[in-house]
Amino acid sequence: MNTHAKPTPDSTLRRFWLKWRFHINVLLLLVPLGFMPKYFADAALFRGDTGLGEREIGDVQVGPWSLRLAELRNEAPTLDGPAGHMKNFTAALCDRCRDQVKATYLRIGKPRSLRAAGVIFFGTPHRMGAMLPIPEKTKADAELWITMEGWDGAMHQAALPLNQASPATVAWLNQQGGKP
Amino acid sequence: MIRVFRPLQTVLLVLCTGFSASALAHNPMCECKAVDAEQIKCTGGFSDGSGAPGVTLDVIGYDETILVPGKLGADSTLTFKKPGAEFYVLFDAGPGHVVEIDQADIETP
Repeated sequence: MNTHAKPTPDSTLRRFWLKWRFHINVLLLLVPLGFMPKYFADAALFRGDTGLGEREIGDVQVGPWSLRLAELRNEAPTLDGPAGHMKNFTAALCDRCRDQVKATYLRIGKPRSLRAAGVIFFGTPHRMGAMLPIPEKTKADAELWITMEGWDGAMHQAALPLNQASPATVAWLNQQGGKP
Repeated sequence: MIRVFRPLQTVLLVLCTGFSASALAHNPMCECKAVDAEQIKCTGGFSDGSGAPGVTLDVIGYDETILVPGKLGADSTLTFKKPGAEFYVLFDAGPGHVVEIDQADIETP
């Protein structure tokens, strides 16, 4: 009786793997290259090399002060779990008002009070960010209200139409079908 | 024999890659419901799943008078009697971290 079992011949797939596995692994190193353009575009956006955001809204005069406003991404609001849909805005204070402005707030619709002025901009005055909740029932003709509070207690407000501030958001709202 | 694929490692790799860049924001959120004809129960929290015990929740009239000054309990909720006047609820976790709920947006049972 032959005690030595005959080695079974390898399958084609296995032979292919054994022969090419190192080459295939080198190819894996090329995968990240495909993601690099987006990575560098994002890095430049967050660093501010490509401006305040993907879409500049322009200068907004708020009482004696002004700020440069932009949409971080020129796209529809993104869902943040149970908190609802959010839209990122960035802003830069005017040179002269950097030392005078204590806080800048953003809200859809006119604020009832300073306490309920909306979301606050955080970050350096040269490049601040705010994450604004966009309720699904927001009307397409709504206004974006900017409230600025000075260190001297002064408060100034300005409004701009939402379709001027973020056409992508208005397009998204229209797509939602204007929930009641 | 060399195993070509290791299913567990592959799954781990995919999971680590997929969830590495998820957003870490925590926005305030608040929900109010009428428990009966007289009482309204509000629950506060943050979008990262954390609760909001001790956070201020005021019931404010349309004329800006504070009708019910309150703080959320240990279970992040507050139950209050529905005011007679028109009102809105303000969940106030600090400047710029507020949620407003108008009386018209409070669900009735």
